[in-house]
Amino acid sequence: MESNLIIYEDPSTFLERLNKLNEELTFSERLEILREIKMKHTHEKQKVIGIMDQDDHGRLLPPPELREIVEYMGPSGEPVRDVKLNNFKPISNHPSGGFFGPKICGENFRLFLSSHPVYINPFSSILGGYMAYFMSYRDPHWNPDLSPPQHLVEAWSKYDIYPGVGAVQHFCQDMQIGFSLGWGGLLRKIRYYREINPQAAEFYDGLESVVIGVQEWIARHVKAARELAEKERNPTLRRNLKDLADINERLINEPPRTFWEACQWTAWYQMIARMYNGSGSMGRIDVWLKPFYERDVAAGILTDEEAIFHLACLFLNDTQYYQLGGPDASGKDVTNKLSYLVLEAVHRLKAPANIGIFVWEGLDPRLLDRGIEIMLEDKMGFPKFLGGDALIEGFMRNGYSVELARERAYSGCHWFAIPGKEYALQDCVKINFAKVFEVAFWEMMSDPNVNPSVEELWSRFETHLRKAIDIVREGLDFHMENMHKVFPELVLDLLCYGPIEKGLDASHGGVEYYNLCLDGAGIGTVADSFAAIELRVEKEKRISWRELAEELKNNFRNEYIRLMLRNIPHYGQGGTHADEWAVKIAKTFVRLVKEKPTPKGYNIIPGLFSWASMLSMGQRVGATPNGRRAGAPISQGANPEPGFGGTPTSLAIAVAAIQCGYGNTAPLQLDIDPTVFRGKNGKEIVKALILGHFKLGGTMINMNVIDKEKILEAHKDPSKYPDLIVRVTGFSAYFASLSKDLRQFVVDRILAEES
Amino acid sequence: MVVFVVKGLIFDIKRFEVHDGPGIRTTVFLKGCPLRCFWCQNPEGLKLKQEIMFYPERCISCGACMATCPRGAHEIRNNIHVYFRDKCENCGRCAESCYSGALQFVGKWMNVDDLIKVVLMDKPFYNASNGGVTLSGGDPVMQYEFSYAFLERCKSEGLHTAIETAAYCRWEVLEKLLSVTDLIMMDIKHIDSEVHYKATGVRNDIILENAKKLAETDKPLIIRIPIVPTVNDSPEAIAAIAKFIQSFKNLMFLELLPFHRLGEVKYRALGIEYPARNLKTPTKAKMQELIEAAKKFVTNVFSA
Ligand code: SF4
Ligand code: SF4
Repeated sequence: MESNLIIYEDPSTFLERLNKLNEELTFSERLEILREIKMKHTHEKQKVIGIMDQDDHGRLLPPPELREIVEYMGPSGEPVRDVKLNNFKPISNHPSGGFFGPKICGENFRLFLSSHPVYINPFSSILGGYMAYFMSYRDPHWNPDLSPPQHLVEAWSKYDIYPGVGAVQHFCQDMQIGFSLGWGGLLRKIRYYREINPQAAEFYDGLESVVIGVQEWIARHVKAARELAEKERNPTLRRNLKDLADINERLINEPPRTFWEACQWTAWYQMIARMYNGSGSMGRIDVWLKPFYERDVAAGILTDEEAIFHLACLFLNDTQYYQLGGPDASGKDVTNKLSYLVLEAVHRLKAPANIGIFVWEGLDPRLLDRGIEIMLEDKMGFPKFLGGDALIEGFMRNGYSVELARERAYSGCHWFAIPGKEYALQDCVKINFAKVFEVAFWEMMSDPNVNPSVEELWSRFETHLRKAIDIVREGLDFHMENMHKVFPELVLDLLCYGPIEKGLDASHGGVEYYNLCLDGAGIGTVADSFAAIELRVEKEKRISWRELAEELKNNFRNEYIRLMLRNIPHYGQGGTHADEWAVKIAKTFVRLVKEKPTPKGYNIIPGLFSWASMLSMGQRVGATPNGRRAGAPISQGANPEPGFGGTPTSLAIAVAAIQCGYGNTAPLQLDIDPTVFRGKNGKEIVKALILGHFKLGGTMINMNVIDKEKILEAHKDPSKYPDLIVRVTGFSAYFASLSKDLRQFVVDRILAEES
Repeated sequence: MVVFVVKGLIFDIKRFEVHDGPGIRTTVFLKGCPLRCFWCQNPEGLKLKQEIMFYPERCISCGACMATCPRGAHEIRNNIHVYFRDKCENCGRCAESCYSGALQFVGKWMNVDDLIKVVLMDKPFYNASNGGVTLSGGDPVMQYEFSYAFLERCKSEGLHTAIETAAYCRWEVLEKLLSVTDLIMMDIKHIDSEVHYKATGVRNDIILENAKKLAETDKPLIIRIPIVPTVNDSPEAIAAIAKFIQSFKNLMFLELLPFHRLGEVKYRALGIEYPARNLKTPTKAKMQELIEAAKKFVTNVFSA
């Protein structure tokens, strides 16, 4: 059922407008048109899919006749509305109707790719575009024969745990493996090791299907590009199509030789990684593209303008996560010309991008300066800033060498992984602290044998937190035991060290290092709750425990009491009791997590992050003693509750003080109105904030420089600013594409920090 | 030994202040001002005493203030809260029990140790941005003993210090403050003493005299003019001030600050009629015209 459909972005209207039907186009003219085409696709997505509470991604919608709308559970545990290709139906190997195991997953993915239309944009130097997610066809998501133990399922809901069972990707491959082998070399490698590990035949079948599927998919593009080149009248576009056909004909088997080819190879890889299971991790682009860049420049076949253009096309193809700068294994900063070109490419694109600058003691200060300038000018939450020194030092605390710690690369929302060597489940495993608090509170209140006290409450909170972490440990072991039988990492496996060699999926011992993630969410809500009780109930005795419980049960019938609890010195103001509580919670969490590995011996690294889940997590928690109403969002990530009444500096200090210290992050989310920076020293001020936070131990900063007025207007009428970009949590997205709730959350956060 | 602890009456501490001097700063607002500019944007800083501010729109009619006030100054009639300011003795108790933010007690007595703790919180951000501390008000000359003690402490902590003042005081006071101050931001409202008197309640002779003396020091100096319609929004008025300061060697720049009405709600909260209710914010074009007028005498002129 191979799709013969070819989607071609018809260039004629653009060329007519430029009056360049038969004339050469410059890179900047092409880029301008590419931006326009991207906006066209974004509008269409906003119309058809509506809400996208996640990265914008570079995905395109399939043509209307191939569309089927579906809803399913997304990779970070939140429901996703999506459009599927209706010309692909997976083959099932299970009575449930699902498909499980490496062989069938690979085969289905190959079939999926063969149904996927060919996409050609003649202005772009990258061939291909992706239109659907393979994950949408996995129904059910988990093999019902392997159901997790009942006590785990119950505890997951009791503590609102995101257990990570069945979670995919969220680690990082090493692109250099792909660049040295190419698809043909990968195929040979698979076939070679298949002989050595006959017991893993099914796994190799799966991997092989993926590679062959990609090769076939590329081949269809090559054929189409060649035909279109024949017909195209514009000389630039004709030549581009012909070059793309030639380049990709080689790339079906051969590894890339030039910078352009390496970008194109990266695009094919990132498209299948994204389609297969949503992976968006790429790592250190200014390291792995550098040899190509330098070689081409030395040979006189690449200008910086052209390099920027290829990079921009790559970033339009998808909004993957990249790191710039940072030390190499020997401790020398890798910042080079290419790092600046990457910044420049996104600067010219003005589209969402997820690129982080690794700010560490050895960083070339000019890269940071340039990054800040672009952030202030474009106001798109780009780039983000990574607290290198604390990350390296922290990761080493797990017992790793400094060399390995330096290799760990920024590859996703709030996270890092050692390319090709580490499996991590980053961002997939969370505990809702607010829920744990709630359990502890009501248990204490219903115990007739104790007098409620803050001390008692804390001890119960700690007990339940320990239980919740134990549950997470067990769940992770369950995942590690079964995931490969359900849905193995067939794409990421290709470019990791070990899976092919050992015949083992990355989720099953294929790679060298396992550092599983566990993030706590809602620390601000819980810290304020403890502080509020301590002050109003215990110290001032303004209300009794019983009254407090009554009010919580009734979701605050008495507004006076709610305000009394709400109006305390909050976490985030600096030097408050709530700040102390937050530190105590974070320290306790870290201690409990690091008490022991999972029963099967997997290391766990604690962090503080909620992704965009503070809304859904909040919906599952009743009223809390900090005056938060039932169902309202919990505090985001490591940040305080909105309206905490502090400043960017107090926030930066507070979040630095609750870092977990083992190499995973507790990001600082900072929204700043640009009027703050009017005048000459805006850059210096932002820089001081960034460096100050990192010096205090901070690990990551997501900064939004936004126009308050614009956001407010866009909130009223999102269609007014379809291209307004905000950094939501770890990712940036079009404001208009977010759900109403998430837009409200962003607006509240901004207004609160303003006042 | 008896240690005499000076206390200061402070009505606000703003961290991450980026408009009062270079870099990231913490600005401390001291209560009390010798001038009575009718357009003042911080009316709660004028009097050197604690005061109640009342924002009825935030009141949730919970009645807590009624219950705590020893003077019966709060009443709720038909769900409408009435506050009798004349009965109030500014003890602050009602504000303490008000959680809606409707009642606020402005003015807090603090000693240098307490204040420096707050100021030092943001130290990690001062150095990297060349920021520091700004002492503002009111006018820091009103509580000059405390101002001096505090600034001296800041210097011993290695912080950059700035003061905002109208310099309406004995020169000795200013001189003493200067010894612990790195940057002076001084207001001049008008060059004509009569106009000055009508607008601010005081004559300007001392102010201009002090300005000249300041110009003889080597302390970096910023002169600021609030541009207030009906008072000084003419090119002539601005040019006259610019001419007066043109020879100041330590002048970094002249800044023109357009009047705005942001202080209006605070007047209402203090139960004072808003004296500047007929004034409008100067237009961009007007500000540009005034900048041009000033530029005839001073090279560096900015407007916020
Ligand atoms: S305590 Fe505050 S909210 Fe309550 S009645 Fe008084 S002013 Fe209103
Ligand atoms: S400050 Fe004191 S006297 Fe004045 S209204 Fe409040 S409680 Fe009453």
